Amino acid sequence: MNKSMLKAAIGLIVLAGLLVIPRFVESPYALHMMILLFLSVSQGQSWNILGGYAGQYSVGHAAYFGVGAYTTMMLMYSKQVAPWVGVWAGVAAVIVVALVIGSICFRLRGPYFVLASIAVAEIMRLSAINLTTLTNGAEGILVTEIPAFKIGGRVVTDFLTKVPFYYIGLFLALLTLAIAYWVQHSKLGYYFQAIREDQDAAHSLGIHISVYKNIGLVISAVLTSLAGSFYGIYVGFVDPPTVLGLDVSVQIMLICIIGGMGTIWGPVLGSLLLVPLSEALRSNMITEGLVKIGLVSADSKVGLFLKENLAHAHVLLYGILVVLVILFMPDGLMGFVKKLASRRKREAA
Amino acid sequence: MPILEIKNVSKFFGGLAANSDVSFSMEQGMIMGLIGPNGAGKTTLFNCITGYYPPSKGEVIFNGRRMNGLQPDKVCKLGMVRTWQKVRPLAKLSVVDNVMVGALVRTISLKTARDMAMEQLKVVRMEHRADFLAGGLPIGERKKLEVARALATQPKLLLLDEVMGGLNPAESEEIIQLILDIKAQGLTQMVIEHDMKAIMRISDRIVVLTSGEKLTEGTPQEVVSNQDVIDAYLGESHA
Ligand SMILES: Nc1ncnc2c1ncn2[C@@H]1O[C@H](COP(=O)(O)OP(=O)(O)OP(=O)(O)O)[C@@H](O)[C@H]1O
Ligand SMILES: [Mg+2]
Repeated sequence: MNKSMLKAAIGLIVLAGLLVIPRFVESPYALHMMILLFLSVSQGQSWNILGGYAGQYSVGHAAYFGVGAYTTMMLMYSKQVAPWVGVWAGVAAVIVVALVIGSICFRLRGPYFVLASIAVAEIMRLSAINLTTLTNGAEGILVTEIPAFKIGGRVVTDFLTKVPFYYIGLFLALLTLAIAYWVQHSKLGYYFQAIREDQDAAHSLGIHISVYKNIGLVISAVLTSLAGSFYGIYVGFVDPPTVLGLDVSVQIMLICIIGGMGTIWGPVLGSLLLVPLSEALRSNMITEGLVKIGLVSADSKVGLFLKENLAHAHVLLYGILVVLVILFMPDGLMGFVKKLASRRKREAA
Repeated sequence: MPILEIKNVSKFFGGLAANSDVSFSMEQGMIMGLIGPNGAGKTTLFNCITGYYPPSKGEVIFNGRRMNGLQPDKVCKLGMVRTWQKVRPLAKLSVVDNVMVGALVRTISLKTARDMAMEQLKVVRMEHRADFLAGGLPIGERKKLEVARALATQPKLLLLDEVMGGLNPAESEEIIQLILDIKAQGLTQMVIEHDMKAIMRISDRIVVLTSGEKLTEGTPQEVVSNQDVIDAYLGESHA
């Protein structure tokens, strides 16, 4: 059996496993973790298309995530528009936002896009807080009931368990992976990478720089918007900080930077690391673990301090993680894995 | 009809005239040598011709079409491509991927682009390097990669900016042969080079720039026997 057949076989087995998990796993918590993982993969991979392949670092992807989430939720909340319809309104809105930013910033050289991306996300967040008639302001939008999804009068799902969300999440993650794969193996991917590596060289070889940057931004923004809509209907609640906050943007970037930019599997690895980590932080699992192995005692000052603060320290920990990755694995986990693999090959030879 | 006409091109950077009132034209299939001391404005002229800078004054006419104001990508699509004096490999891409990026201006199919790229790698004798990372190549091969990548865009006019700079004599000789091979295929070239012996061998005509101005133009024989050129440029070596 050759290598690509082996890869395909492993892929099929993993896929089959993912498809049947809900049949065997009943724990809603386990399904929830899987759904978070799928969401993270699609967020990181969406960012990767623009940041990893085309080298345009957006520090404001919360704008697309949040606009997608808000549009779907607002339409469902005030106009009773079904989410599978509202999602496309979100996509349309996000395309407009992306093209406005892109057409202004991508003409200019320098860090304009990075700065503008932060600014636009902040504008979106402030608008969500202040346009209270549309968005409910800081209170956010709560939607408790999703209409049942029917095809030809037959109910496909009524969204009462986590299972339908599991499959939607899985589909979304696979879709973004497939699109990233297609980008990498097409003219688009070559042009993105040429722009990332050397803009002047790319320009001289016939590449219209701003057109291709805009294409990358729109693909990335649309996929991020889909992830946002999915998040909104899954959680049933959106408010400005959870979908439009700066830490959402940073989290999206980190999945990809830590996992490995410009690779298909980087965002997957990044998600496999970050999702459990942030869950462990949130639920104070780390403090409990430290107490259990006897490193700190639960009612000592240190123990109490950790219990109080560690759950809120994920931004700090992400910062430390990024520094470590940049120092020791500049190409992310994926680059590290590749290096190990090639070293093994050399030693074997 | 000349393939390229440069008409009174000037380029100012603030008060500095990097090119001033330069005019000459090129016929199909020829090699035009472009020489001049450091800072004479040779690279600037390439930048004006290929759309990196709009000329401050004057016109660039390629195949009868006025090129002023066109961006480099458009210039490339119309058939004019340049290499970079300071090489610009796409470092994290493989050698063949670098050349494919050039080829993709003519096709959307990766397979076609790969075939075109391998063909150009053969021309520069780098097929065996196809899967190496471009960032890891030694300077001689980086220069050849520049040429292969430019050729892959299927130009009608190729502009080479010091492709022999920094090379040893054997490598330079290989490049000279390469340029002559390309000429034999019928491709028109403009070549910036400091090595006088090399430029004399390959050029049909030579333009001499000093301080942004065209000092003279002629056949290699005419140029080396021109007293102004000897004074201004060849002074020391021919004294
Ligand atoms: N972007 C720029 N801004 C300001 N001055 C510039 C710029 N580009 C070139 N110059 C100046 O224009 C003059 C001509 O430079 P150019 O690079 O064209 O020379 P050259 O003939 O290619 O020299 P070399 O043989 O060293 O490559 C120099 O004085 C240079 O400093
Ligand atoms: Mg120069």
